[in-house]
Amino acid sequence: MPTNPTLTATSLRAASMRPLQSCLLALVVAATTGCGATPPAWFRSNMVEATKQKLTPDQERQVATVLLAMFGTPDDPVAPPETGLDVAKLQLAAGPVRSDIVGRKNGLYREHCAHCHGVTGDALGPTAAFLNPYPRDYRPGVFKFKSTERADKPTHADLVRILENGIPGTSMPSFALLSETQVDALVEYVKYLSIRGETEINLMRAFFELDDEAEGKLPETREFLVGEVLEPVAEKWKAAADALIPVPEIPADLDLEASIAKGRELFYGDKANCVKCHGPTGLGDGQANDYDDWNKSIVEWKKELGGADDASWLSRAKQVLTGDALEPRTIPPRNLRMGIYRGGRRPIDIYYRVHAGINGAPMPAAKGTISPEDIWHIVNYVRSLPYTLDGELGADRPALVRDRF
Amino acid sequence: MATSAESSAAAPVNWPAVVAWTLLATTAVLLSFGALVTTYDAAMAVPDWPGTFGHNMLLFPFAEWFWGPWDLFLEHGHRLLGATVGMLTLLLAAIVFSGRSSPTLRWLVAAAVVLVVVQGALGGLRVILDDKTVAKVHACTGPLFFAVATAIASIASRRGRGADRAADRPSHDPAREVAAPPPPSWALGAAVPTVLLVAAYLQLVAGAQLRHADATLAPTTFRWMVILHLLGAAAVTVLAALAVVAWQPHEPPAARRWSRVILALVVCQSLLGAGAWVFTWGAPAWIQEAWPVAEAIRARSPRGAMVVTAHVLVGMAILGSAVAMALEWGGMERLERLVGAAPRGRSAPPRAAAGAVGRVA
Repeated sequence: MPTNPTLTATSLRAASMRPLQSCLLALVVAATTGCGATPPAWFRSNMVEATKQKLTPDQERQVATVLLAMFGTPDDPVAPPETGLDVAKLQLAAGPVRSDIVGRKNGLYREHCAHCHGVTGDALGPTAAFLNPYPRDYRPGVFKFKSTERADKPTHADLVRILENGIPGTSMPSFALLSETQVDALVEYVKYLSIRGETEINLMRAFFELDDEAEGKLPETREFLVGEVLEPVAEKWKAAADALIPVPEIPADLDLEASIAKGRELFYGDKANCVKCHGPTGLGDGQANDYDDWNKSIVEWKKELGGADDASWLSRAKQVLTGDALEPRTIPPRNLRMGIYRGGRRPIDIYYRVHAGINGAPMPAAKGTISPEDIWHIVNYVRSLPYTLDGELGADRPALVRDRF
Repeated sequence: MATSAESSAAAPVNWPAVVAWTLLATTAVLLSFGALVTTYDAAMAVPDWPGTFGHNMLLFPFAEWFWGPWDLFLEHGHRLLGATVGMLTLLLAAIVFSGRSSPTLRWLVAAAVVLVVVQGALGGLRVILDDKTVAKVHACTGPLFFAVATAIASIASRRGRGADRAADRPSHDPAREVAAPPPPSWALGAAVPTVLLVAAYLQLVAGAQLRHADATLAPTTFRWMVILHLLGAAAVTVLAALAVVAWQPHEPPAARRWSRVILALVVCQSLLGAGAWVFTWGAPAWIQEAWPVAEAIRARSPRGAMVVTAHVLVGMAILGSAVAMALEWGGMERLERLVGAAPRGRSAPPRAAAGAVGRVA
């Protein structure tokens, strides 16, 4: 069972409730629903990772305790200075939804994000099972759409852009109606959840490297917890701003038609080989049985379970797969003729996708194998695909596709 | 022969009906505000109760409320309307209990008083405890009150027609009952109005659970809740269609009208439900294949909020119409029997009796 680090907070809250209110609530709620009041929000443990690492309940508790001390609770987040996170912004985004007399709203994450991404950022919010693709699980610290190299974290501006524009073709909406301060606070909170989640994974994996003298317990020293576990994660986020993908300027005298023709050649060529997944028609009808990293980890774990001989662990693992993971789904390659660009429709966004690939997805990076100039040609070709020869949108219709070829 | 002007001057004002309709209209506005409060997650825009930011709720500065933040406008407006509905209910109770109203009406008004007090307390507790479970109960009691208010308005209006009170009806005449047409042979048809009424309410309860779902709820639980809501929608649609089919010529024409209104509302509600889905989670992949949309949906857009809120309100309208239809279609007699107001010795089945009474009146 995952531990509930906010249990103490619940008790305190219940104790501070006035007797009359408590009696009224108990009467009304018991009479009408027969169930108790809603428990306060709490961070779920990463049970998939804990079970994979075969942690004991004591070890799970130790991880939960360390995380509670480092990051606080969903209602009262704290951030170690090493993370560089702004606690004031976190407090604006955290906690239950409420606002003051001038309309300043707190609890923004709970209001706008938690129903899909979950209170913990584990993509296990109530609505998650309905969404296709599933919402992003922040805990592995992997983000798809960014202006940084594949293995790097996104910049603050990247996440702001995603919130403002949403992700077309998915359930991620645009939050353009929120104020700049609110979007900023939400981005900070997403980073907080991601750092917390990645720290949790690192802590769980650290048990595997313990020597016999440790007696199955992690050293609770600042040097280990902050220096070895937290800081490597936090540093990657801090370094994101300096890891921007260099983008060469588009030549002013570029012949667009020639560029598109060159891009087409690359698209079908062995070097870029875009056709392998996106298909000969660009309809995304190439190789379509691959998974993204989040789903792949579950698929591979399920395969591992087939060879497991520890019956009690196996039964626990199956329980975790049912309650703490969603049924894996394949990720179809993008249909490039629909004119829907999840990571942004600007030419530079498509350049980033081709250059660095999509982190966490099968889309590979062209960096190193294709020159920046050729990447621009591919970008121009890809941007031409949704259009028919007469310049109208709608090339995804099969009849029109035949015309193009 | 008296002119129409003379007869209107002579007819006493049916005060229970006037107040009941005012109550119903105010309740509809109150529910609209309540639905918007949930849509915009504005329930905690005012942290205290029964006061508003330390002021007496009724004395909170008008300009600060009316021109203030949207969430405050909704939440405080909801409270003011709630207080108005409470006072109207008490006024109605005073009129009904001091006059010669039927036991049925008295029982319903008494139920309304209890419900409005409980609902007010639930609203307060939802704020004081900031508790989603209380919010869910609050959202289930609202439609219940609306259903009772609809029944009250419907019955109070009948007084003018002389049909609300057993005492107002013509004296019991077996000959008239013998003359009444036989009940329909299709037993299922007779139960449709009541079953539809219950289903419409349960569907609102299921919807309330979805709208107030806590962020900590497991995806599998939520999935079952959505499936239940969709099954409920299918059930209400089938029942609404059955109600149209089940009506027979010897039954009250008003019941037929209501059954058609309900079917139209259900069709509208299905479209709004689909719209609410799209504005909340985006169009499903199979729709996007057919109609690609290059832009992401916009969270909290006025259009989306309107569709989602309208979905709740049309659900209420279906419930209200189901109450009106059930009362026309034999429900009045059942209610009277329930409160012991029906004349003894009536042997004809309720629907036949309703038809007979309607014609006599």
